[in-house]
Amino acid sequence: MVRKIGFVVSLILLVCIGLPLFATGTTETAAAGPKVINLWSFTDEVPKMLDKYKELHPEFDYEIKTTIIATTDGAYQPALDQALIGGGADAPDIYCAESAFVLKYTQGDMANYAATYKELGIDVDNLLKKADIAQYTIDIGSNERGLVGLGYQATGGAFIYRRSIAKAVWGTDDPAVIKTKIGPGWDKFFEAAAALKAKGYGIVSGDGDVWHAVEGSSEKGWVVDGKLFIDPAREAFIDISKKLMDNGYHNDTRDWTDAWFADMKDANPKKVFGFFGPAWLINYVMAGNSGGTKPGEGTYGDWAVCEPPVGFFWGGTWVIANKNSPVKDAIAKVIEWITLDSSTTGLQYFWANGTLAGPGGTKDTVASGTVMKMSDGSLPFLGGQNMFDVFVPAGQFATGRNKHQYDETINIYWRDQVREYTGGNKSRAKTIEDFKQLVLDNLALPIK
Amino acid sequence: MHRKSISYAKYGYIFSIPFVLTFLVFSLYPLLYTVVIGFTDLRGIGVKELHFLAQPFENFKLILNNPSFRKALFNTGFIWICNFIPQLSIALLLTAWFTNRTYKVKAQGLFKVLIYMPNIITIATIAILFHTLFGYPKGPINDLFMMLGLIEKPINFHIQTGTARGVVAFVQFWIWYGNTMIVLIAGVLGINPTLFEAAEIDGATPRQIFFRITLPRLKTIILYVLVTSMIGGMQVFDMPKLFLLGGPDNATLTTSVFIYNQAFAGSYLFNRAAAASMVVFAIIAVLSVILFQILRDKDAALHRKWEKAEQRHRRAEAKEAAV
Amino acid sequence: MKSNSIRSTRIVAKTTVYTVCIFLSLLSLFPFWVMFMNATRSTFEIQQNSIGLWPSKFLVSNWNVLTGKSFNPLVGFSNSMIISSGATLCAVYFSSLTAYALVAYSWKLRQPFFTFIMAVLMIPAQVSSIGFYQFMYRIHWTNNLLPLILPAIAAPAMVFFMRQYLLATLPLDIVDSARIDGSGEFYTFNRIVLPIMKPAIATQAIFTFVLHWNNFFLPLILLTNKDKYTMPIMVSLLRGDIYKTEYGSVYLGLSLTVLPLFVVYFLLAKHIIAGVALGALKE
Repeated sequence: MVRKIGFVVSLILLVCIGLPLFATGTTETAAAGPKVINLWSFTDEVPKMLDKYKELHPEFDYEIKTTIIATTDGAYQPALDQALIGGGADAPDIYCAESAFVLKYTQGDMANYAATYKELGIDVDNLLKKADIAQYTIDIGSNERGLVGLGYQATGGAFIYRRSIAKAVWGTDDPAVIKTKIGPGWDKFFEAAAALKAKGYGIVSGDGDVWHAVEGSSEKGWVVDGKLFIDPAREAFIDISKKLMDNGYHNDTRDWTDAWFADMKDANPKKVFGFFGPAWLINYVMAGNSGGTKPGEGTYGDWAVCEPPVGFFWGGTWVIANKNSPVKDAIAKVIEWITLDSSTTGLQYFWANGTLAGPGGTKDTVASGTVMKMSDGSLPFLGGQNMFDVFVPAGQFATGRNKHQYDETINIYWRDQVREYTGGNKSRAKTIEDFKQLVLDNLALPIK
Repeated sequence: MHRKSISYAKYGYIFSIPFVLTFLVFSLYPLLYTVVIGFTDLRGIGVKELHFLAQPFENFKLILNNPSFRKALFNTGFIWICNFIPQLSIALLLTAWFTNRTYKVKAQGLFKVLIYMPNIITIATIAILFHTLFGYPKGPINDLFMMLGLIEKPINFHIQTGTARGVVAFVQFWIWYGNTMIVLIAGVLGINPTLFEAAEIDGATPRQIFFRITLPRLKTIILYVLVTSMIGGMQVFDMPKLFLLGGPDNATLTTSVFIYNQAFAGSYLFNRAAAASMVVFAIIAVLSVILFQILRDKDAALHRKWEKAEQRHRRAEAKEAAV
Repeated sequence: MKSNSIRSTRIVAKTTVYTVCIFLSLLSLFPFWVMFMNATRSTFEIQQNSIGLWPSKFLVSNWNVLTGKSFNPLVGFSNSMIISSGATLCAVYFSSLTAYALVAYSWKLRQPFFTFIMAVLMIPAQVSSIGFYQFMYRIHWTNNLLPLILPAIAAPAMVFFMRQYLLATLPLDIVDSARIDGSGEFYTFNRIVLPIMKPAIATQAIFTFVLHWNNFFLPLILLTNKDKYTMPIMVSLLRGDIYKTEYGSVYLGLSLTVLPLFVVYFLLAKHIIAGVALGALKE
């Protein structure tokens, strides 16, 4: 017995001795060339941009070390925070922040770590004008020291619906008509929901779809003067959600779960009419989950966009530089290319026209108005519709006013509690009370 | 000879130094540090200065009055009970079967190996695996239940308090009952076999033998299992954290997840997290005292034997020296 | 008649025993079987029917998806290896040494020291994690594997176990005769006592290794550099991949973390189980 254990133990030891050698070998090569950029992101979007940048600029010989942690479950922020605080050679040089928590890194608790674009040596004032960057992107990315972060997307939202279902219910799939069926306002939206239900359709997939519209359309954010505040528009989410649930207007899915994705390709028995979302939702989520890659396959090509019942915006990625980074010159180049270069070789042009990874890629609305004017947003996924016609005007609803650095965490609490209410586990009053308690307990935010 | 054996005493100290140093630096110091933080206003990231609070027990008061923390304490206890009762019952049942002299269960070794297996698997993996297994509307468990005709439509295990807690408790049970069983079997094998033989000759049924002879003699071991399981249960983290992040509606929020959330996943309330840790620590300390008593009683017996042997040894030595 | 009915009840009883045991064995195997099989199936297949009892042919494509998402199992594996084996070596060696100090020498503080060890036996590292984190943060030891290895030197529970083992197995005569042969105390421990303790060390080593391999809490709060991630941290990342549900690769990632454990377990299962039993008796 002892011999057998001895054998296995020595085997393990051998591996252990071997692996560190192997591991140190790799770190040594990394140390030999100090030209490393640590990039932190929650999707592979920005990492892929850097790949493209390197491809376009062969003289840019930095090694990009990417760390991707998904924001699902709120795992990204604690990890990023600790990496920033920890400092040293492993600290992030460039990091991305999503609209739900970007304020923490540009104006809130972690703002001290952000370098202003001016410190990086970027000619901000001129470039902002030249590129005609959307104002909300600048507002969110600025603090009293100046501009520290910019997004590359514009994330005004629309209602993305199924053409075939629109025809079956209203006899037309024309966006100009459909927008008058589902809006403006939630009352019209529920009329449409009833009409859809009569034919056996759900209007949305789950309460998450409506939430982003509600969140983005509210006047004030979760925190006003350092205290928790529930905007009437957000409080109304309880009732909207309950109404959807009680009337069976949706499939009661949760966003970013299997069932939600399934509704994008009709995999659930009750077909779903549409989704609320910005341009990125179409390309990065819906297209891949439509069950097809060209018109006629799955639901591909059977979609269209129109104005939503309430104006909103959702998401967006801001790019921030660590002010303690040893490679400021290099990251300045990259950041300028991503956020402020409005030429046809700038990131945003590739991004808007879907040519980042060659032609035929996914298109998106971008922050630069200059680039948007040069770009074409027609998509086979939308049956050839030019989505920019809807999304560019929708950009006006994007604002930094109703945001707060703890949005991500508070949103989770709020939506979980509303789910408890719609599920019939709690009264409305108790739902709100429990929500306030959760925020107080976990974030030490007093109640207004 | 005698002179020499005295001079060796210093090695007792020397050989204990690494342990003592490591303990002081990596256990005691962080523990005291945590206590101190509990009395300060340390919150926020990157903050290094400690300021003691004007009201020293403010954090403790806040924590003890914090509904989420109370709920976490309740959940921790509740999940532990839901896991421990079946864990001990099944383990006892299997112990009774495997040690039953009339059944002579074959392939016992294989069963033990398989039943114990979940105990060594990474809990983080198990948590995420079970999250996926219990997926809704499509997931292996839902598919299996539908196939077997147990349910008509898929159950959303993740959003109901009962099912969410149930899965967490089940996983804790599933991980630990094999371990408990093996510990109990070892306990039974340690009982003098003549007792069983005598009982059999007296015509006792297996049931009687189990309840009258086996069980009373397992008392200390069961108590040991109970207390260690409670101490472990107070710290359950990986499973609830990775399974549903303490949700839904805090139904699987355990004290450890609460502490983690306070300190690392929100406003960085290190001071409150430290205070909560101390509350948990106090509970574990009480349990440890009980465990200490159990072990000391057992150890005293062992040690008496050893002392006797040592005395004999020294006497022989002395005799030799005298000769 | 009577013996007949006894026999039939016995058959019923035995059938129950075997049915339950087989059921429980399947209960242990089923989740992992599904996991391993789904690791070879495509997301589409899994969405169609999430229980696949037989392997499919998408292992390679799942692997490509997985590694394409900056999931590098080799890094996690080697870090976990370094931590687990380092901690195991520290723990078994120094615990044996401390136990030997407690058993072989009579020194004034011996009994108080042992009482102390028993008193701190069950104090979990977790309750002092806030202080531990702040401490490591101040000395810039976050993103370092040492704070996950070195504390293993002071493992009270293992000292306790080793002491009980030594009390039961170490003949003091051997130590004495070694002294007469002129062997130094340290040499005696390394060359004579340690070999005697081999069986105890072997079982304790396995458990310590597994314990550190599976540790999640401390690495989670200490490690932010992905080159330092351990296996459980890598696994925890599998939970959220926003833009797509790549179930096949999630299962594959999970499988990779437990595969080494499976190999070690099934090679050493008998000894591991004997070790659990031994631990129970000693404690």
